[in-house]
Amino acid sequence: MKWTYKEIGMYQESKEYVDSLIIPMNPISFGAQMKQFSSMHEFMGILMMEVEKQLKGRLLLMPGLTYWSEGQERADLIEIWKLKLLEADFKHVFWITSDSEWKKYEEQLPGSLLWIPSIPLEHLEEGQARQMMNDQVRQMLDMLTQSWNK
Amino acid sequence: MSKRNVSRRQFLNYTLTGVGGFMAAGILMPMVRFAIDPVLKASASGGFIATSQKVSELTAEPIRVDYTFDQIDGWYESQVTNTAWVYKADDGNIVALSPVCKHLGCTVAWNTDKEHPEQFFCPCHMGRYEKSGVNVPGTPPSKPLDVYETQVKDGILYLGLLKPHKGA
Ligand code: FES
Repeated sequence: MKWTYKEIGMYQESKEYVDSLIIPMNPISFGAQMKQFSSMHEFMGILMMEVEKQLKGRLLLMPGLTYWSEGQERADLIEIWKLKLLEADFKHVFWITSDSEWKKYEEQLPGSLLWIPSIPLEHLEEGQARQMMNDQVRQMLDMLTQSWNK
Repeated sequence: MSKRNVSRRQFLNYTLTGVGGFMAAGILMPMVRFAIDPVLKASASGGFIATSQKVSELTAEPIRVDYTFDQIDGWYESQVTNTAWVYKADDGNIVALSPVCKHLGCTVAWNTDKEHPEQFFCPCHMGRYEKSGVNVPGTPPSKPLDVYETQVKDGILYLGLLKPHKGA
């Protein structure tokens, strides 16, 4: 379910079935990585849209968590989220990002970190790009359903 | 909970296909969703949308058929790709089922649950449907899958409006 008025209503009515929280994480910058980050953000948007569509009934997709790539403490972010997550009742929490910095914080993150490299679509033909995107979605779905079945 | 990377295999793929420096590059994404293959492009005809599926290739085994159309959804106009599960019934009629689970809207797939073969399966809460689309009692969905109106023109399958299942 998405972070929209209508679907949050749906979430509140069927909470007992929605045990997974998805948090996409997108870095931002006005510096040299600006372009790269904007494309990560776009890639993440497409990926999340598709995953949400496939598994709508069991997960809540948070609006993308946007943070400054530099000058913002990731550890602080994690602390706030840890506290806030106590207020909700999610059995599975998935942090999804193309920002490899997060790998250093994997142990601290409450839940599972899924790192996915952004796809360089400008180097690819249209059909190939779509194929790769589909593969990513497929892998992501497999991982989510596998952690449910454990 | 386990910690894993989705990416290792993917990373190799990129390297092997000669796409270096993928993290560093400025990336242009296609407009909406996966840029649309012209073959799949919808040509509307009286509410019916063309798929790329040849009717002669349909069998008794349900297959995924994608179709694409422009959707105006509140503020946004976007190109949407939807899927139907399509097969030929015993009486020769074409059956096209919506993949949207009637429980809470996940996407169902054909024959993916090993313990219950030859059924549609919903991975979210183990919802199941018979091949006809009728929900299996005792699983979460309380209604059968919706059914598309279908049309055949020049040997190509067209999908129309979604209707509630007749068995409902
Ligand atoms: S959404 Fe399909 S069984 Fe719950």
